Order: sequence, then C-alpha cells, then structure tokens
Amino acid sequence: MAAPVPWACCAVLAAAAAVVYAQRHSPQETPHVQYKRLGSDVTLPCGTANWDAAVTWRVNGTDLAPDLLNGSQLVLRGLELGHSGVYACFHRDSWHLRHQVLLNVGLPPREPVLSCRSNTYPKGFYCSWHLPTPTYIPNTFNVTVLHGSKIMVCEKDPALKNRCHIRYMHLFSTVKYKVSISVSNALGHNATAITFDEFTIVKPDPPENVVARPVPSNPRRLEVTWQTPSTWPDPESFPLKFFLRYRPLILDQWQHVELSDGTAHTITDAYAGKEYIIQVAAKDNEIGTWSDWSVAAHATPWTEEPRHLTTEAQAPETTTSTTSSLAPPPTTKICDPGELGSGGGPSAPFFISVLVTLALAAAAAAAGSLLI
Amino acid sequence: MDLRAGDSWGMLACLCAVLWHLPAVPALNRTGDPGPGPSIQKTYDLTRYLEHQLRSLAGTYLNYLGPPFNEPDFNPPRLGAETLPRATVNLEVWRSLNDRLRLTQNYEAYSHLLCYLRGLNRQAATAELRRSLAHFCTSLQGLLGSIAGVMAALGYPLPQPLPGTEPTWTPGPAHSDFLQKMDDFWLLKELQTWLWRSAKDFNRLKKKMQPPAAAVTLHLEAHGF
Repeated sequence: MAAPVPWACCAVLAAAAAVVYAQRHSPQETPHVQYKRLGSDVTLPCGTANWDAAVTWRVNGTDLAPDLLNGSQLVLRGLELGHSGVYACFHRDSWHLRHQVLLNVGLPPREPVLSCRSNTYPKGFYCSWHLPTPTYIPNTFNVTVLHGSKIMVCEKDPALKNRCHIRYMHLFSTVKYKVSISVSNALGHNATAITFDEFTIVKPDPPENVVARPVPSNPRRLEVTWQTPSTWPDPESFPLKFFLRYRPLILDQWQHVELSDGTAHTITDAYAGKEYIIQVAAKDNEIGTWSDWSVAAHATPWTEEPRHLTTEAQAPETTTSTTSSLAPPPTTKICDPGELGSGGGPSAPFFISVLVTLALAAAAAAAGSLLI
Repeated sequence: MDLRAGDSWGMLACLCAVLWHLPAVPALNRTGDPGPGPSIQKTYDLTRYLEHQLRSLAGTYLNYLGPPFNEPDFNPPRLGAETLPRATVNLEVWRSLNDRLRLTQNYEAYSHLLCYLRGLNRQAATAELRRSLAHFCTSLQGLLGSIAGVMAALGYPLPQPLPGTEPTWTPGPAHSDFLQKMDDFWLLKELQTWLWRSAKDFNRLKKKMQPPAAAVTLHLEAHGF
C-alpha cells in the first residue's frame, strides 16, 4: 500500500507549486508602464478591482497614506519628478498583489537644436542635435537629409548618440541641403529643419600640436609651430590658412597674425622675460569659417643669465676715485629726479654731486683757457 | 643704324602688340622656363578677385529681382536653366580629372557664362546695374584669357565652339517674367559656384606644377628691330 501515497504527495506538491508559480507570475505582476506629464494629475485604478474594494497602495515598497485614495484608486495631484516609481496595490486583508504600475513623470520634447558642420571637406559633413531642456523620459530621434529632391543616408556615429554622418557624393553643388529632425516620446513630439549650401558649413578642427619655443640669444622672439588638423583629409588640394594670436599672460590684449601658408611663425615683438600664451586657428583658403582656437601653448622668450653682484660694485669705485675726494659713494643709479624732493636723507649726496659738477666745470674752463 | 624719336615709339607699340599676343604664340624659345606656375597662380588670384566682385554684384542684382530671390533661405528646385554649365561633379571624378580636362571644363564653363552674362546686361533695367555687369564681364574676360594662357603654356589646344552650339540669349516664347528671373538667379548661383570650384581646381594644378628656381631668360625672335 506504500506506492499510491508517494504519488498523491507528488501530485499535491506539484499543484501547490503550480499555484505559487501562477501567483508569482500572474499577468498583473508585470508592471503596466505609464508616462505622465510633469505638473498634471493622475488617477491610478487598481487593475480590475471594484471602486469600493479594500486595497492598500505602496510605492517602491513604501506604504502610501489612505487620504490619497479615492475608493480603490490612487489619486496623485501636481506630479513631480519624485513621483516616478513602481506603484503597487494590494488586497488589504490578504496582501495579494493586484496591480502594478511603473509611473514615469516627464515632459513632451521642445524644438530640438540642430547643427551641421563639415570638418572633413570634401569627404562629408556631420549633423548633431540636442534638446534645449530635458524630458526625463526616453526620446527617439529621426534625421532625414535631402539634397534637392534626393534622399541621402545619415550614418549614425558609433560613439555619440546625437550625431550622424553624411558623405558628399557630389562637390560644388548649387542645390542646398536640407536636414530635418523629428523627436518624439510618449508625451508628444517636435521637429525642426535647417537648409544650407555646401560651402557655408565648412569649419575645420583646430590646428594640432601647437608648440612655442624660445629662440636662443633672442630675448624678444618666440618660435611657434603647429600641424594641420588630422581630420582634414586633403590639405594639398584644399589648403588651409592660419590665424595666430598671442599675448603675455599679464595683459588682456591679443596680437593677431594671419598666415596664408606654412605651419610655423616667429614672433619678433615679444616682451622680454614675460610668459606668453599662444593659440592658432585654421580655415579653408576660400570657403567656410574659422575653426575654434587650438589648445594654448605657453612659452617665455630666452633671457640672458644674470651676472654676479660683487663684480658690479667694484667697477664704479675704480673710475670715481681719480676725479675728486668728494666723490659720492658708488650707486647703481646715475641720476634719479624722484629722490630730489624726498627730504633730508638724499640731500647730502645731491649737494656733493653739485659741488663735483661745479669743480669739474671749473677745471674744464681752466683747461680750455690754457689751450688757447 | 641711326634711330630717331619716332622710330622708338613705333618699336614700343610693336613690342606691346607682340607681348599681348604672347600666350597665343606657339613656338617660343625659353631657357630656364618657370613653367606655367606663375600664370596658374595669377589665374587663381583672378578667381578670388572675381568671387569677391560677384558677391556685391549678386547682392545688388538679386535685390533688383526682388523677393523671393533675395531671401537667404530661398531654395528652389533646379528647373529650367538646363543649358547653364554646371560646376557640380562627382567627387571621385573631380579628383581624377587630368589637367587638360580640368582646364578645358573651366574654359568652356566661363565662355558660356560670359555669354549669358552679356545677355543679362542687355536686359538690365538700371544704368548702375549695367555698369556693374559690364565691369564684371570685362574681369571675366580677363579670367578666360588667363586660363587660355595656362593652356597654351602647357601645350593644350583651346576648345573651339562647335557651330550651332553657341549659347544665344533669346528669351523663350513661353518664358514668363518669373521664369526669366529664375534663370537669372541660377546664372548667378552657378557663376559663384564655378568661381569656388576654379579656386580648388587651380590649387590642384598649382601643386602639380614644379616651378624651377632658375631665372628666366626670354628669347624673342626680333625681326627688323
């Protein structure tokens, strides 16, 4: 009689497991997703429950106050971003989960900002976009490129989500390009478009590897070198011209130099001993606009090594000792008018120097009369 | 030989005439030839000058045509103006053009465009417009001459227009005033685009020519001087 008992046990266990499984994976357990607009009001019904059913609501596992309930429905007014979450309603007595809602509070998209640029002329151009204000919920973008009546493919950038690339098939076109973008999310949609000529969007990347070096034995020179941007595909047929700007760190005013070719320049009017900041920009020779300024290079012009102080003090003594015993003590300055009005101290040396001058003048007059 | 004052002026005039026709003279003994480099540079500079001139001319002319032609966003479909030489070209085709073809395309384009411009000049309503257009036509003629010089220096023959294919400026019978203005719009647009293209064309040619460092000695066949 042992055989039927294990069979019955298995059957009961299997049934129990099935019920538990059904309860855990019942349809109302996968949350129903809802998107609601910021600031609006929402009423969440508890699935198919009657209005007067006894339920408790929880958000992300935390109980909600019963005053938010309208019967078995949850009422939320003036939705804020913090209201986003998983809302669940349970049968009050059995704690049986009846319904789940994943609420996302967000905004419909505003008009997107779209811009296109060719930093790889003549290979192609890219367009990038963004929303001026966040929506807080997922958005999808759709970009279309028209050249006259022909649709062109805009390939998604592998790294950046909001950029795509178009390859030029034809150059020197008189027909404009029109790029349109539409953005949509669960709460609304928006769109914009821009139209442009092939030449107007050309803007190279800034020059690379800008290096500034002092020039030995030249205290007012700085040698600057740079490279054409590596993204510019054909500098031979599409040469770039450059714009250099420099200033000492202590001043605000920039000096500018425009260079039609070459990737080097020597600054010849630098202030001696002052640290300089230097930047370079690039532009196609004929079309488009200037690039952004490059990463700044810093340099200070060459300065002479200062001489030892003791040798300077000895030199004036040997020359003044022969003129007069009233010679003023050796000073580094020959004449400083500022010292004259400053009171008693400096007046003594001044008086002595006047005497010396008069003595010398008298001696010169005497010598002159002797020679006649 | 005893030279008198009158003879030297005659000599000078003759010399000027010879030098003027220099590009067309096929056989010229030159030692230390600088190559076509300087004349390519000159042609390039001319395209830049013309492009600059065209900007103010086009602005004035489009204002004369009135809206929508003078609106910056004006983006009409390319209808009509089928006989206008188009600057647009496939990127790879443009890259692989040989020098002769590159120069020929430029020369033919400007010949046609000049002819159309002259027609435009005849139709222009104000004296100021006619003056500006006439000035531009003269400059464009100079560009054509410069391109011809480069072609001659490289030994390429000038393209001869086939009889009957010369563009003539006759307004079509069904041409409305608006369609006429559209044609004018496309003419100026195409001209501007050609000038940008030519700058790039001549850049490419410049890079391919190697100007030698040696000085130029020009030997002229001087008869009777």
